[in-house]
Amino acid sequence: MPAYNKTSLLAYLQQQTESYLHKAISEWQMIPHSKFALKPAAEKWSANECLQHLNSYGNYYLPAIEKAINLATKQTTGNNVFNAGWLGNYFTKLMLPTENGLVAKPMKSPKDHVPLTIAESHDVIAAFIEQQEKLLQLLSLSKKIDWNKTRVPISIATFIKLKLGDTFLFLIAHQYRHILQAEKALKTAGISNKPVTIFSLTHGTNN
Amino acid sequence: MTEALDQLKQFTNSIHTLSASEWAAFEAIWQPFEAKRKTVITTSGEVEKHLYFVMEGVQRAYYLTDNNKEATIVFTYPFSFSGVADSFLTQTPSKYYFETLTQSSFLKTSYQQVAGLMDQYPNFERMIRKATGFALMGALERQIELQCFSAEEKFTTLLKRSPHILTMIPHKYLASYMGIDAATFSKLLNSIRL
Repeated sequence: MPAYNKTSLLAYLQQQTESYLHKAISEWQMIPHSKFALKPAAEKWSANECLQHLNSYGNYYLPAIEKAINLATKQTTGNNVFNAGWLGNYFTKLMLPTENGLVAKPMKSPKDHVPLTIAESHDVIAAFIEQQEKLLQLLSLSKKIDWNKTRVPISIATFIKLKLGDTFLFLIAHQYRHILQAEKALKTAGISNKPVTIFSLTHGTNN
Repeated sequence: MTEALDQLKQFTNSIHTLSASEWAAFEAIWQPFEAKRKTVITTSGEVEKHLYFVMEGVQRAYYLTDNNKEATIVFTYPFSFSGVADSFLTQTPSKYYFETLTQSSFLKTSYQQVAGLMDQYPNFERMIRKATGFALMGALERQIELQCFSAEEKFTTLLKRSPHILTMIPHKYLASYMGIDAATFSKLLNSIRL
């Protein structure tokens, strides 16, 4: 399993989250609902649905992470290595795009996380922004917390717990996956966009 | 730092001109200070001990109601003074939170140092008095906007004054500043962005 320097991994995840937040603030907020909620094809998600899907994950994971941080053990000094767990690493890898930036493996989303209704895009984008701000605060709070010992139950099976570091990695890689998808949908809707920072885990890896 | 002090000099000169020796004493009290997005710099209940001069980014002061609703009182951007002005000048507890909305950089100084210069140089105190007067003018003008302007008028006023802000900070803060709800804000935005 990969081992990471925690300090540089944290900085990297903060920077990655910043780039999603920047995109939502500087571009998506200004797009009218008619375009943001436009489906590229009948069976494909609109940018709005991609964000609704991400928000449903955030609704579960952000309070779960916050709870875990509040109950967590402080990091002992000198241990600045985060070792990914096998399951966490598997989930993160599953989310990451291939080298050419395409979504790697098409898969079906768990049914609890499939958007059922078309929500107003300004509400969806506002919720997404609020979640990214919260995620940045949690990342910064987690600086003093042990990422190996602290664990967070996963959304689809709460008896399974991932390490805090894996939870951050999975969550942020999952966002990247659907932000790429949202960008594709927006392109079909005639909106040109600047790419988000590329998610690549070579950064901060020790082995 | 040199560029920041040049901006500060330009800013203070536009309010009231300081003599060479007054400026030399004033420029010596500042230190650079940086903060990430969404950093609370001053908390409600705390006395504002610092004065800031904004070099980069957007900040806000907000009031937190009993049922946890945030009301945005003021935004600050480059190049101007920042912090909780009333708490700073009166050295009484702040009713507001002061936080960054984007990555921000500042010059920072303390109340002691500013108060020391005011005791020493009457002309420096005159500059601070004028700056306070302009801040009061701004606060009262905003009071008119809040009480007498329609949502549309508030929206167009903000757009005329600072159009860049729409793509710089989350719209919920702008809606909160204008005292309108998010849905009304988005309707107004729809009406102008086509």
